Amino acid sequence: MSHSQEPIYRTTGARFGKMMAILIGIMVVGGVIFFINYDYWNSYLPTAGKIQEQGAIGQHIEQGKVTGQTVEVNLSFLESPDFKTYAFNALSGSDRNPEIHAHVGDKIVFHVKNGGKSFHAFGVTASKEGSGPVIDGTAVGTADNPLKPGKGGDATFVASQPGEYYYICTVPGHRELGMEGKIEIAPAGGAAASSGAEVKPTGNKVEFTLSFVMSSDFKQYAFNALPGQPGTNPDIKVKSGDTVTIHIKNDSKSFHSFGVVVDPDNPSNILWNSAVATPDNPLKPGKSGDVTFVAGAPGTYHYICTVPGHATLGMDAKFIVE
Amino acid sequence: MVLELKKPRPIWQIMFSTHHTDVALLYTITGLAFLFMAGVLAMLIRTHLFFPGQNFLISDSVTFNRIFTVHGLTMLFLFALPVAAGIGNYLIPIMVRYKDMAYPKLNAIAFWMNPIGGALLWLGFSDTSWVSYAPYSVIRAPGPAADMMIFGLKILGISSILSSINFIVTILKCKHPDLPLRKVPLFAWSMLTVSLMTLVAMPSYAAALIMLLTDRLGVSGFFNPTAGGDPIAYLHLFWFTFHPEVYIFLLPAIGMMYELIPRFSRKPLFSQGSGVFAFVMLGMIGFASWGHHMYSTGMDFTTKVVFMIGTLAAVPASGMHVFNFLATMWGGRIKFAAPMKFAVGGIALFFSAGAGGVLNSAMPLDFISHGTYWVVGHMHLFLTGTIAFGFVGMIYYIFPFITGRMYNEKLASIHFIMMLWGTVQVFFTQHLLGLEGMARRVYDYPPEYSSWVELNQIATVGAWILGGGFVAFLINLLYYSSKGKEANMDDPFGIGGKYYYPYQAKNPHH
Repeated sequence: MSHSQEPIYRTTGARFGKMMAILIGIMVVGGVIFFINYDYWNSYLPTAGKIQEQGAIGQHIEQGKVTGQTVEVNLSFLESPDFKTYAFNALSGSDRNPEIHAHVGDKIVFHVKNGGKSFHAFGVTASKEGSGPVIDGTAVGTADNPLKPGKGGDATFVASQPGEYYYICTVPGHRELGMEGKIEIAPAGGAAASSGAEVKPTGNKVEFTLSFVMSSDFKQYAFNALPGQPGTNPDIKVKSGDTVTIHIKNDSKSFHSFGVVVDPDNPSNILWNSAVATPDNPLKPGKSGDVTFVAGAPGTYHYICTVPGHATLGMDAKFIVE
Repeated sequence: MVLELKKPRPIWQIMFSTHHTDVALLYTITGLAFLFMAGVLAMLIRTHLFFPGQNFLISDSVTFNRIFTVHGLTMLFLFALPVAAGIGNYLIPIMVRYKDMAYPKLNAIAFWMNPIGGALLWLGFSDTSWVSYAPYSVIRAPGPAADMMIFGLKILGISSILSSINFIVTILKCKHPDLPLRKVPLFAWSMLTVSLMTLVAMPSYAAALIMLLTDRLGVSGFFNPTAGGDPIAYLHLFWFTFHPEVYIFLLPAIGMMYELIPRFSRKPLFSQGSGVFAFVMLGMIGFASWGHHMYSTGMDFTTKVVFMIGTLAAVPASGMHVFNFLATMWGGRIKFAAPMKFAVGGIALFFSAGAGGVLNSAMPLDFISHGTYWVVGHMHLFLTGTIAFGFVGMIYYIFPFITGRMYNEKLASIHFIMMLWGTVQVFFTQHLLGLEGMARRVYDYPPEYSSWVELNQIATVGAWILGGGFVAFLINLLYYSSKGKEANMDDPFGIGGKYYYPYQAKNPHH
């Protein structure tokens, strides 16, 4: 069967046009579907990612409410010329990664600028290592969409809990290379700072007498008198540097121990060696104890029963240092 | 006239036909359409990287990731595989002298999975990069794009397994009894080799895709470290498929060159036997080297040495092909029509890409080049320099047989020069960029590194030249398929002689 005997069919313009109409028609329809749903295609995390996010909610910290003063901080991302050392503000010396001290409720405003040559992103985190999780609203740029050299931005951070926080570069690896600075958040002290710091004694001596009391049904706990009666949980007012002596008696039927703390929810962190007995070795009913200590930095503190749970039940009163 | 239709028929009859030339035409047109779509994405990527620190073209990094992901997926799965299958569909039944493929309906089904898979990939526009490594693809890659990509690749994988079965059965069981297997033309041998490789390699990736999907759904944790899984396991499953897949992309192009070079050298092939041997060798050695993609994942020294030797073992077999081509051309009266130009250019670039591959396989050097633009340059030099050159040459070669018309030789020459020039300029430059330390897949780079800026701009200009060559190709395909000169169907290239087109041999079915 030779080819010259077969009819030879050659592509015509009309036929070609039909073919292109089909091809381009498919592409146009596809394009319309694609762009109409553009935001949908990349819209949700896979279930595995959601499970992981829920696992991280335990570390999830929201910003607190602004009650204190405003602290302004200028930070600039820097790298050494060989890209081996990374830091904020200075590669070495005292300006490097400056420590920030503030209180719960203080508004810390970060003015961040990328003064380096690499890409960076800013965030505040409570975790001691790794590049997150970043506290809501403190990020300037993200690891996916970082700050380019010369660019900058502002972020505010208001702590809701006292403790140690860190401002870091959230681009993975940069924190480990040195882009990390500490933020020390102390409990709110109104106008006066209640940092719990120790001060030198002024020689002025004051004495107080207290007693642990409980209702007979073991539901109400207090100092000196049961709640509702006069004299319950009296405020103690001293001056900073006073040498304070506390005489305390256990007038209840349970075991107690005494201490002055910053945060009644954290009774183990006792200030100024002010403990009488300990939760492990408490005062037995009817026994007494004395303690003498120097009242520290001004602020509003709490004297509590340091046995876990007792402060929450009522053995919690104000210890004001002026 | 063997490859085109006997008589004019409505286009829908071609679309729903099961005849091998019709399915081949659909495969080829689909592959070419996706080539140009993915080519546009490549131009976007390179143009975006022309300037550092600017986002004048692509506004954010996620869009950039999505673009290079779909570019890679499309070029590999929707251009390289379908065009190879299309040319195979055209020629293999003729080469083995059978009336059609062994399973015509399976053939049509295998084709129709391609547009569906392609639609899933292009609609979702996933951002995982074509390798979709865990853990990103498991815990972070946003849905439904990544899930659509998994389903699309699954469908394309089934398609390639079905067409592999079809090719194997056609070649081994349906060939004419008078034709011994060793005399089957080398293009058919290359398709036989890659079909067998596909059957062995593909199940591993198919399993990995299912595991990826269940991991994403949170019901399993094969590759999810927080669920106790191991992301490296995904790499092993992936590269066990995709290192052989490199040869699955490459060997059909080599097989096409075996068609073109003897024809246009006006000489018989130098050695059929060494071609067959080298195909079979590459088909087996392809499975001994997947680990060289993962040297830097902390495998032990002995394993690395084994994979290094396994990789280097591909060199002699590849060399056999090159020498076979050179010996065939030696002393021939070569006619440098467009198909021959692309074949010869492809051989030259195959050699240079292979030389880069030898360097890559040496693990001490691999630690320097890993994850840099060196890898991008190397792999594109293979894919563009060898595979696309072979395919484009073959498409020019069968163009008159498909359309009955001749392409424009001058435009084809412009296409060839621009494509060769552009390929060298982009991908050689990318090797240098890698040595300068630029990481691959980056969205932006600092302007202070002046050598990066210069090399990126050189590469981008090269990419525009390469893209310009493909504009010439597009004009040739579009305009000259209906307006070109009528081809002399007995000898469209003016080579002379009766037996230079083997598929014109007497075949009662055609």
